[in-house]
Amino acid sequence: MAEGKILDIAHISFLDMIKVMITMGGAANAKGTLIRNALATADKIKEVDYGSFEDFLSAIEDSTNPITQVEGKASHQGDFVFGLAKCPFGPSISNYTGVFEKLPEGYADFTTEFNKPSNVTDKYRVGEGAGVSPFCSVHQPMRSAIADKIKINGKNIEIFQLGCKSGAGKKGFAEKWIAESGVAKEVVDKVLDNHMCCYYIKIVD
Amino acid sequence: MAEKMKKILIVDDEEDMIWSLKNNLNHEKLQVDILTASSGEEALEILKNTPVDLIITDIKMSGISGLELLIEVKNRYQQTGVIVMTAYPSPEFKSEALSKGSLHFIEKPFDINNLRKVVRHALREDNLFKGTVAGVELSDIIQINCLSRTTTALKVKTSNQEGIIYFLEGKIVHAVCGDLHGDDAFFKILAFNGGTLESMKITEAPNNTIKSSFEALLIEGARRMDEKNSSEENDSFNPDALEIKNAPSTTSGKKNNKNKEAAKENLKTDNIDKEAIMNSLQDLLTEFTNIPGVNTACLVGRDGFLLDSIALSGIDTEMIGAIASSGFGASESMGNQLGKGAMSMTMIEYANGPVMFSPIGNDAFLVIVADKESNLGMIRLKIKKHASAIATTAAI
Repeated sequence: MAEGKILDIAHISFLDMIKVMITMGGAANAKGTLIRNALATADKIKEVDYGSFEDFLSAIEDSTNPITQVEGKASHQGDFVFGLAKCPFGPSISNYTGVFEKLPEGYADFTTEFNKPSNVTDKYRVGEGAGVSPFCSVHQPMRSAIADKIKINGKNIEIFQLGCKSGAGKKGFAEKWIAESGVAKEVVDKVLDNHMCCYYIKIVD
Repeated sequence: MAEKMKKILIVDDEEDMIWSLKNNLNHEKLQVDILTASSGEEALEILKNTPVDLIITDIKMSGISGLELLIEVKNRYQQTGVIVMTAYPSPEFKSEALSKGSLHFIEKPFDINNLRKVVRHALREDNLFKGTVAGVELSDIIQINCLSRTTTALKVKTSNQEGIIYFLEGKIVHAVCGDLHGDDAFFKILAFNGGTLESMKITEAPNNTIKSSFEALLIEGARRMDEKNSSEENDSFNPDALEIKNAPSTTSGKKNNKNKEAAKENLKTDNIDKEAIMNSLQDLLTEFTNIPGVNTACLVGRDGFLLDSIALSGIDTEMIGAIASSGFGASESMGNQLGKGAMSMTMIEYANGPVMFSPIGNDAFLVIVADKESNLGMIRLKIKKHASAIATTAAI
């Protein structure tokens, strides 16, 4: 007997809820709501101070790093550039598109809205072209806000979202953050060949 | 080289007031050359020979009233600012006293420090009057007439329309415009697109067709103007396109096409100047919180993140922004679903007062939280007046 596709109702509900939010209050409002949720989640993370950058990397390996706990293990590509092999929303998207073939209406508008310059995306150095789906508006600000809770040898860190890749393989680049971080776009492009997400960590003096 | 001292002309038929201002206005932060006149006529004589930067005038005087003096000054001495004093208390007037528009109001009795503040503002170089009728709105004139309890007939004339509003002791009692009479005529006049103003002395009105208060009339007038085609909104009542003349006086300003063109240009400049004065969002938001009963004014991004705010202590403006964006977004979405076009303004009335929303630019909106006694018309007028300046200042 052929096995049918199994819906994960948690995933489906979440994705449909985003669609409802877009319809009811517009893409900008939906974006703001998701970002606020992400920031509220990040706010629950306890502050941590790693003695060195190596300690920070070790915490990724043993999954005790707060960033790792929300997105999985990222790998250091050198010069403080990181690549994340799996999008944390990948399973949700796969589950939805596996049943309904394509994502709900309004998602493209939402993604465009996230990439527009705004105070909040400036503050967390996200968006600006690095958004490839609505889920980036949750993931990217949450990671940056969690980074605000992390110190390395007593120094604050900042995350610059450099790029992201959709499930279909389309790459999005945040030209603004690439320029500000000083990382070459070619490096970002190369990292995205094998990863879904690329970001840079700056240790603030 | 020492900076030339600014000249202020104080006009009041109360000697005590003149004496008091002459002796107390100058202060550590304000040094001006003070001239005085005990009547509007004397003030005009002084102005013939002496350039004056600012006039502080009582509104109710025998002979030429403060309003008539204002009109004459606007016609002949465009660079001269005017502060109008009134002895008739009104919450709306009080809020206007703090207004940073080109007309300034102050209510008697006043705190001399407040007057100094208004004077300092009015004397700022970038706040000089540059248009024939810079900043004088028809609604301003109507309010002045009402609050100063004036008896007059105000004729408003455009190239193809004419209307007259009659005031008896400050009450709007009658209006006529073409075949229309009463409220309808009043609203039609209020919606004129530019024109000239003429203040005529009367002792009684030909009819008594209007019963509503001037506040109610202005509120309704603002509402009706809102409903006009949004693309014409800026032109529907362009206060800066008005010219003022003072019939039956023989000294009314000469008008010709050249003057009109110059006035238009000046008025464009004046608009920019007025916006430049509002050099911060805080200044602009204060315009709203100065309205009695308004306790919170927030500028919120459409994503619900706060851009700036003024609020009573204890009010979580971040939360207001987040929740208001849902309300704003929902209202806008409903308009879209119903094919109603772009949203211009919305209000939700609660038991303890209204919350008003208005889009600002493409990416933000204004939230005004008020008490139930607040003057909604004033809020609406201020929104219309300052929306573009807020958008410009906030770069949205």
